[in-house]
Amino acid sequence: MDPMKAQQLAAELEVEMMADMYNRMTSACHKKCVPPHYKEAELSKGEAVCLDRCVAKYLDLHERLGRKLTELSVQDEEVMRKAAAGTG
Amino acid sequence: MPCFNMAAPTESTDASLSFATGQSATVSSAENVSLQYSLLLDHLIGDKRQIKDLNPTVMGALPSPRKTKEEKMIERGMESCAFKSLIACVGGFVLGGAFGVFTAGIDSNVGLDPKDPLRTPTAREVLRDMGQRGMSYAKNFAIVGAMFSCTECIIESHRGKSDWKNAVYSGCVTGGAIGFRAGLKAGVLGCGGFAAFSAAIEYYLR
Repeated sequence: MDPMKAQQLAAELEVEMMADMYNRMTSACHKKCVPPHYKEAELSKGEAVCLDRCVAKYLDLHERLGRKLTELSVQDEEVMRKAAAGTG
Repeated sequence: MPCFNMAAPTESTDASLSFATGQSATVSSAENVSLQYSLLLDHLIGDKRQIKDLNPTVMGALPSPRKTKEEKMIERGMESCAFKSLIACVGGFVLGGAFGVFTAGIDSNVGLDPKDPLRTPTAREVLRDMGQRGMSYAKNFAIVGAMFSCTECIIESHRGKSDWKNAVYSGCVTGGAIGFRAGLKAGVLGCGGFAAFSAAIEYYLR
């Protein structure tokens, strides 16, 4: 599989991945930061601060885990190829 | 391990491959599939991913017009601790002034001449007394209000929650700071008193 094809496939999958990530992020940060006790429509200062921090951490986590996952995947692929070459 | 055999019949490596075996690809085509996987991951979440503009509309939220830079700046300013304590200061000043003028009418000891205790004070004396009391009360209220609002905003920003405890903590800090000038015991009393007062107000408001 050449990089061009991989890039195209990634571009297609990315939209769905982004939408899923966004949904999960909003749901998780909402559960963490906004207690279900709605007295007013506006976000208070504490809640706004908490949401900022939550989103920043979530995106940071997403990036780091993505990098680590690709690293592990490359390593695994190497090992598998060696094993296949060894037995093949 | 049955799943091990199913997924990769010629595999003999250890648990570090556990997530690769989750691909459910046989080894004969494993090279193709796993190559795809890591390459795909690279483009999707790894280093070769495209820099995307994180627009909420694209990611699945409701489409809404983007806020302009000025709008964001103004909103950020209005939510800041400095602006809130300024509002509290001005409000405290006005309230204190009104309160002082009002109590000057009730509790007046103006124009008391020891030689002639029944003399009615002149209008100028009364007005001056009202003005002084009003100003003194206004300044005190303004300072207390600004301090309380500032500490509450800082504590709320630090905790990241907005509940009744913020007001109690900042009440203790404000009362303690005011009372501390008269000694440690007065500071502790001030802390306790103001915190209790804040708790009562919060209970009433929530």
